[in-house]
Amino acid sequence: MGTLDGLAYGFANALTLPNLLWALLGTTLGTAIGVLPGIGPALTVAVLLPVTFGLDPVSAFIMFGGIYYGAMYGGSTTSILLNTPGETGAIATAIDGHQMARNGRGAAALTTAALGSFVAGTIATLALALFAPALASVALEFGPAEYFALAIVAFAAVTALLGPSLARGLFSLFLGLALGLVGIDQLTGQARFSFGIPQLLDGIDVVILVIGLFAVGETLHQAARRSRDETAPVQLTTFMGMSRDEWRRSWKPWLRGTAIGFPLGVLPMGGSVIPTFLSYFAEKRLSAHPDEFGHGAIEGVAGPEAANNASTAGVLVPLLTLGVPSSATAAILLAAFQQYGLQPGPLLFSTRPDLVWTLIASLLIGNVMLLVLNLPLARVWARVMFLPKPLLFGGVLVLASLGVYTLNRSLLDVGLLYAVGALGFAMRVLGIPLVPAVLGLVLGPMAEQQFRRAAAISEGDLTVFATRPISAALLAAAALILIAPLLLKRRRRAPHE
Amino acid sequence: MCAASEGGIVIRRSNVVRASLLALATLTASNAGAQPHFEELRLIAPAAPGGGWDQTARVMQQALQRAGIVTTPIVENVPGAAGTIGLARFVGSERGNGDVLLVSGLIMLGGIVTNESPVTLADAVPIARLTGEYEALAVPVASPFRTLEDLLAAFKADPESISWGGGSVGGSDQILAGLVAAAVGVEPRRVNYIGYSGGGEALAAILGGQVSVGINGLAEFAAQIDAGAVRVLAVSSAERLPGVDAPTLRERGVDVEFENWRSIVAPPGITAEERARLAAAIDAMVRSSEWRDLLARYRWLDRYLAGDEFATFAAAEERRVRAILRELGASSTRGAADPYAAFVLAGLLLFGVAAAVAVRRERQVAPTRVALAWRPLALIGAGAALHVLLAESLGFIVAATVLFWLVARAFDTRHPTRDAVCALGVAAGSYALFAYALQLPLPTGALGAWL
Repeated sequence: MGTLDGLAYGFANALTLPNLLWALLGTTLGTAIGVLPGIGPALTVAVLLPVTFGLDPVSAFIMFGGIYYGAMYGGSTTSILLNTPGETGAIATAIDGHQMARNGRGAAALTTAALGSFVAGTIATLALALFAPALASVALEFGPAEYFALAIVAFAAVTALLGPSLARGLFSLFLGLALGLVGIDQLTGQARFSFGIPQLLDGIDVVILVIGLFAVGETLHQAARRSRDETAPVQLTTFMGMSRDEWRRSWKPWLRGTAIGFPLGVLPMGGSVIPTFLSYFAEKRLSAHPDEFGHGAIEGVAGPEAANNASTAGVLVPLLTLGVPSSATAAILLAAFQQYGLQPGPLLFSTRPDLVWTLIASLLIGNVMLLVLNLPLARVWARVMFLPKPLLFGGVLVLASLGVYTLNRSLLDVGLLYAVGALGFAMRVLGIPLVPAVLGLVLGPMAEQQFRRAAAISEGDLTVFATRPISAALLAAAALILIAPLLLKRRRRAPHE
Repeated sequence: MCAASEGGIVIRRSNVVRASLLALATLTASNAGAQPHFEELRLIAPAAPGGGWDQTARVMQQALQRAGIVTTPIVENVPGAAGTIGLARFVGSERGNGDVLLVSGLIMLGGIVTNESPVTLADAVPIARLTGEYEALAVPVASPFRTLEDLLAAFKADPESISWGGGSVGGSDQILAGLVAAAVGVEPRRVNYIGYSGGGEALAAILGGQVSVGINGLAEFAAQIDAGAVRVLAVSSAERLPGVDAPTLRERGVDVEFENWRSIVAPPGITAEERARLAAAIDAMVRSSEWRDLLARYRWLDRYLAGDEFATFAAAEERRVRAILRELGASSTRGAADPYAAFVLAGLLLFGVAAAVAVRRERQVAPTRVALAWRPLALIGAGAALHVLLAESLGFIVAATVLFWLVARAFDTRHPTRDAVCALGVAAGSYALFAYALQLPLPTGALGAWL
C-alpha cells in the first residue's frame, strides 16, 4: 500500500461518526488528565484498557491516541497559568509561559502552545507514517556511549539556563545531581543514599521535585511576600489570542521544535526533558533578543511545546516498528495491542497495513480535535489566573498533594513534596534558579549509568566515546555549544578595541 | 445478590457483612460461576502501570469480572523496589483483610534478596502460582555467534568479554545469566551483566547489538523472532517449544531449567475460611474460558499451582535465587568506592559555599532585606503537616479540607466561611474525581463507612 492510498484508506476507516466520538472522548480525557499534576496517560490508558475490551481495535486505538496526545496538550496549561508543570515535558514551557501569563499574555501563551502542539503532532505523525522503519534502524545504532554523549550535549545546553549568577546556577545543578544519587544503582543493584528508607530505593521521583519546587515553592513565595504584585489583565483583542508579532515569532520555533523533538522521541530512551530543553536552548541561542528569555519570550513556549508533542509521536516509531516500548504509556499501548491479538514489531507494517494506516489517520484526526477543543478553551483557562488567590493556591496545593500521592500511593511522598517545597521557597528567596536542579536530577543518573554501561561493555576501554562516530560527533557538538558563545563574544568585542 | 448490596452500601471492613458473604460463599462454592464469589476484590500490583505484574493484575481483573466471579475487581498500583515496597505494605496494612490479593513472582524474590527486605514472600499467605514465561538467549541476526556453543566457548575463554543485556539487576534475566555461568563452570561473579531498567530499553540494546547476547522473556522476543530479526540461541524450558526453532539449554549440555513465574498471595492474619474463599475464586478463574483466552493472547503459560504445593515451590525457588544472587555478588560489596558520588558531593559543597559567599556579598553591597511575612508561611506549614498526619486516620477529604483552608487563610483574612465552604467542596470533588471517575482509591479513614 502506497502512502497516499494508505492514508486514504486509513481516513475512510477512521472517519465514522462513532470513531469521531471516541476521538472526542479520548482527547477530552487526555486534556483533563494532562491538566491534573502527577497523573499521566499511562495510568489512564491502563484504567481504561479493560473497559475497551468490547470495542473493536480501531475505536479503542482512536481513543487511546486521543488520550496520549491530549495529555501532552493539557500539561502546558498548568505550567503556563500556575507555574506548576504536571509532567516533565512541560517544565521548559513554564519558564517563559508563566512569565507571559503574568504579563497578561496567558491566552497567547496557551494559543501558541496549542498551535505548536498541533503543527508538531501533525508533521511528526506524517513522518511516522513515511519514515518509521528507516528511523527505527538508525535509533538502534544508539548504544550507551551515544546516550552518554547525548546527556553531555544536554548538560552543555544547561549552561544557557544557569542564570546571571554562575555560583548559584552550578549549586542548583549539583543539588539536582546529588538528589539523583539517591536510590538503587542500576548497574550493581546497590542502594545509595537511601538511609534505610525503602521508599527511597527507586530514587526521588522527578515529578515530586518538579511539583514541589514549582507549585509548592511558588505558593509559599507568593504567600510570604508582603507586597502582592497584581497580574496584568488579559488582552483579548487579537486574532485567536495572539498578536501579529506573536504569530511571526511563533511559527519558526514550532518547526524547529518538531525537528528537534521527533528524532529524539524515536530514540528508545524515554522522557521528554532532553527534547524540550534542547529546543528551549536552540530558541534562546537563535533569538535576536535572548535577554527576553526568562521574562516571557513566546519562542520559549512555542519551541518546547512543539518538541514535546513531536517526541510523543516519535515514541510510537520504536513501538510500532520494533515492538520496543520506550515509555510507560508505550508499554501499556503494547499491552493493548496484545489484548487484540496484535503484535507490534518489524512485521506490523507489512502484515497489518490497514491497522497502521487507520491508527495514523486517527492520530491526525485526534490532533485536529485537540486544536478545536483547546483553542476556545485557552481564553477560558486564562481566566483561572483571576480566581481569588486564597482559593487558587488552596486548590493548587490540594491537587499537588493528590497527584503526588497517586504516583506511589505513599504519604511519605507527600511529606517529601512539602520538604522540597520549602527548599524551593528558600531557593527563590536566595535567587537560586530552579530549573538546573530538575535537569541535574534527570540528566545526572542518565549520564552516569550510560557511561558505566559503555565502560562495562568495552571492559573499561574509554576510547569508545571517541571511536564510535555518533558518540564522537555528539561530544564535538557539546564542546561547540560550550565554546562557541565565548568565541562569538570575543569576535563581537574585537572591533571595539 | 446479598442484602448489603441491595441496600446500596459499599462494604469493606464490616464484619457482619463479611460473615454473611462467607455464608454465601460456602453456598456458591458448590456451583461455582453461577453467582459471584465476591462483591468487591482488590488486586494489588506492586509495580507501576505497564509492567508484567500490572498486566497480570489487569488480566485477572478482566477474567474475574467477565467470568462472573467478582462483581467489582479493583486494581491498585503500589510500585517500588522490585515489588518489595508493595509487599511490605501489603503484609503490614492489609493484615486480616480477606478481600485483597497481591500479585507477586520470581522477580520479587530477587528484589527481596538484593534490597535485603525484612519482609519476604513467606510472610504472606500463599494462594497460587498462576502463569509462567520462559526466557530466551538471543542475538541479532548479524551476530558472530551462530549457536549456543559459539557463545559459551567465547564466554569460557574470556568471561568478561561477553556482555549480557537484560532487565534490572537482581531480576529474572540476571538470575538466568548466573545460572548458565555456574552450569558451564564459570564463576557467576565474572558475568558482565548490563542491566536495563525497562523491557523496552533492554530489547533495543539487544536488537542494536549493543550487548553480546540478550536475555529476555520469550514473549517479548516474539515479534522479532517472527520477523527473523533475532536468532534465539536457546530457550530455558525443559522441552523444545512449538513455534520456536531453538534448542533448550539442557539439550546443549547446560543443566538449567528456568521460568519467570507470577503468583498471587493473600495478607497474613486471614481466617481459614477467608483463605479457602479466595482460593476458590482463583480456582474458578483459572478454569474459566475467559482466563484461558487471555493467557493465549498474552502468550503466557498456564502454570496454575495452588495452596501448599505453591508454598513449597516458592520456598525452593527462594533458596535457589538467594544462592545464585549471592554468587553473582548482587548483594555483597557495600560501600565500595564511588568516584561519581564523590565528585557530585564535592561539587555541591564547593558551589554551595560559592553561592553563599555571593549571597552575602550582594547583601553587603545592597542591603535590601527581603521582608518576609512569617504568619502565612506558618499557616501553610501547619496545613501541610496536618494534611500528611491526618490523611490516614481521618481520610483524604478531611485532610484536604484542612490543607485548603489553612492555605487560603495564609492569603486572606476576610472570608473564613467562604474559604471553608470552598475547601470542603474542592476536597470532596477531587475525592469523587479520583476515587470514582479515575478508580484510584484514596484513604478514607474514619469516613470510610459512609463512602
